[in-house]
Amino acid sequence: MKALLQLTDIRKSFGAVRALKGVSFELFPGEVHALLGENGAGKSTLIKVITGAHLPDGGTLVVAGEEVSNLSPSKARELGIACIYQQPALFPDLTVAENIGLRLKKTGVLHRVRWASQRTQAVELLHRIGAEISPDSEVRSLSMPEQQLVEIACALGSGARIVIMDEPTASLTQKEQHLLFKVVRDLRASGVGVVYISHRLEEIFALADRVTVLRDGESVGTNAVESLTEAQMIKLMVGREVSSIYPPSEGEPREVVLSLKNLGCAASGVTGVTLDVRAGEIVGMAGLVGAGRTELARILFGITPADSGEIYLNGERISISNPREAIARGIAYVPEDRRRHGVILEMPIAHNMTMAIHPKFFPGSILRFKAESLLARDFIRDLGIKAYGPEAPGGSLSGGNQQKVSVARWLATKPKLLILDEPTQGVDVGAKSEIHKIIRGLAKEGLAVLMISSDLPEVLGMSDRVAVMRVGKLVELISKENADAHTVMAAALGTNGKDAA
Amino acid sequence: MSSSRSFSIKSLLARHETVLVLVILFEVILFQVLGRNFLTGRNFSNVFRHSVEIGLLAVAMTPVILTGGIDLSVGSMMGLCAVLFGMMVNSLGMNPWLAGISAVAFGAMGGGVNALLITRLNLPPLIVTLGTFSLFRGLAEAITKGAESYSGFSPSFLALGNSNIAGLPAQIWVFFIVAAGIWFLVHRTTFGRSFRAIGYASEGARYAGIPVARNTSLAYIIAGAVAGLAAVILVARLGEARANAGIGYELLAITAVVLGGVSIFGGSGTVVGTILGWIALAILNNGLTRISDYKIMDQTVASVARELSGLLTGLLLLTALTIGASTKTLAVRHARKQSLAKPTSNPATS
Repeated sequence: MKALLQLTDIRKSFGAVRALKGVSFELFPGEVHALLGENGAGKSTLIKVITGAHLPDGGTLVVAGEEVSNLSPSKARELGIACIYQQPALFPDLTVAENIGLRLKKTGVLHRVRWASQRTQAVELLHRIGAEISPDSEVRSLSMPEQQLVEIACALGSGARIVIMDEPTASLTQKEQHLLFKVVRDLRASGVGVVYISHRLEEIFALADRVTVLRDGESVGTNAVESLTEAQMIKLMVGREVSSIYPPSEGEPREVVLSLKNLGCAASGVTGVTLDVRAGEIVGMAGLVGAGRTELARILFGITPADSGEIYLNGERISISNPREAIARGIAYVPEDRRRHGVILEMPIAHNMTMAIHPKFFPGSILRFKAESLLARDFIRDLGIKAYGPEAPGGSLSGGNQQKVSVARWLATKPKLLILDEPTQGVDVGAKSEIHKIIRGLAKEGLAVLMISSDLPEVLGMSDRVAVMRVGKLVELISKENADAHTVMAAALGTNGKDAA
Repeated sequence: MSSSRSFSIKSLLARHETVLVLVILFEVILFQVLGRNFLTGRNFSNVFRHSVEIGLLAVAMTPVILTGGIDLSVGSMMGLCAVLFGMMVNSLGMNPWLAGISAVAFGAMGGGVNALLITRLNLPPLIVTLGTFSLFRGLAEAITKGAESYSGFSPSFLALGNSNIAGLPAQIWVFFIVAAGIWFLVHRTTFGRSFRAIGYASEGARYAGIPVARNTSLAYIIAGAVAGLAAVILVARLGEARANAGIGYELLAITAVVLGGVSIFGGSGTVVGTILGWIALAILNNGLTRISDYKIMDQTVASVARELSGLLTGLLLLTALTIGASTKTLAVRHARKQSLAKPTSNPATS
């Protein structure tokens, strides 16, 4: 049988980050092919290569037997490639029929819209996937899963031979899931190839024929789904050795600094988090993207204040309703999005470093340029920041050095609790281990550290304990001795940890 | 070291302020050559006496624009404050100095309304102040029923607008004090620092614990208060308080700020730049009225000075912006080329 889609040795880099290091992948007609991998394994990049959003740096892409170079999104659509994203990309102010009509682009002379045929077609497509959606309702009024169904109808109507589904069930209810599964099976029966991406292993067992696992931008094997157990799948996903280059933890953790009791915030979907963090200890926070880890950090930092539960800092019950209160209490947060929240790129690094300590460092609100410059020089030296001086704009530094500036800003506040959110994301290897050393050094000095990371080896290598979150809840707290890739991943995915191990 | 000196000359030339000083010198020389009695002390006093209100608005607009905002309502605010001032003095018999302070307070309150709408309801500053632009002027016209004006102020008050102190127009001294205060606020305090941070990245500023709403509000309140002050000075100069005081002044003030090199997107810019931008505009306006020996389209230049100055202001502004944008692009390109050329070198050589 001829492959619908054949990718061979696809490579793609963004700057110094090699997102895809030679991935091969094939899809046959009438096949549901699952794509599995941790956060950052390269799944999204691979999809973007297939849909023409990214041009690969190397490798070949063959669609229906013909090699395609310079694939663009519109060319991909002509070739029958359709992608259904987690967040449907529809026009909210147009009706369902108009959205479908726009996507299919079957206009008449002078681009005249044929309203009647557009509507008939929409009705027919919606019926085919069994969706009970009126073609005349505005997309704005639809729920997220309904919008996804409209996307699927579009893909179907455009005669797509290759349909990519990126975590399509993330926002669906049980009933809608079954409907979706039926649609996927129908697609398969009609000879369409489906690339199915999901973190939920049980879905992959229920739907997929074959599964390809990506890890660190490489494919680590394609297998028939029946030939694998859940445990084997997890092993393929996390498979690597935890390297021993992480700085060792030393000394016993001391008194409890932060204590959370049933903490929650309805608006950000976090519920019932109970956790202690001690001075001198690093608690790693693992979980999938969207598990509520960043949301928890934002609650603790007062960006989205808690609406239930209790926060104790050094035994004293506190409430935190804005970042300034958090800072005054000794809580520091190095945010995930370094370029938007961590560092103000246009401003000198000295200004960035004093930004969180304005009231303390500048009595009477009067700037002290000399003192500021000295403080910045100290941090540049202590953290090994590569910059031409305190006046260098944040944006002129490399990612790793920007991250150090962001850390310096929070160290300047002399915090009791340091929350780090993906501290080494997009940072090159050398700077990464330097940042690890800095974090461990801070813990040694008596800081309580809460480190959110999607980098599993980092979580395992750095943490004294690992807290795992899933769908807004803290589901497991694993001690260093018991924490290994399998248990953490199994907890994050919500499969039974014992079976996986 | 010769290389460091050439670098500093280069950076001096690259500064927007230097370019503006050259523009101002060029204007002065041009008008001195072409016009009559341009470079006299009396005329120079006049230049600033007649444009000090716009200078005040421009200086007070600078913090607002640094936060990435804009305040279109300051001209209308002048109208409203002028009318309120006139009413307090004429109808209520208030002491003009006390009424002046009240007018400034009313201006601050008006700025507070802007600030509240912008920071609490998260509405865009352009829209909010476009609304209050109409609202304040409308209130002023309602109070005067569209036609009334207040006059007959005491000579001691009118002196503020028409007398000299130490050889300079009295109101220039007020301007100096306000400009020095705002310069200090912007360049020497954490408030100024936070204006820039908010302008560059307001979310980033929030994550650093900067009280974004409070400090943004401060900028609008200052702009409103200074508009109230400008209204009092205008009344003192004209001897009359009318609802149409300060019409179009907001655009002239914004022009001066932008001409002064303050980024309309927020973050970068200096108070000195704004002042130079204002001086360049003021001299252009005045200088053209002095040219009566030359004709343009059969009219003496002086007789069409107003029309011509509008045209030239536009050209000056667009030229300054183009030069600014292209030098910035060149600088970015240069920096990128440098970092690509030596990716392995350690920049920490100091």
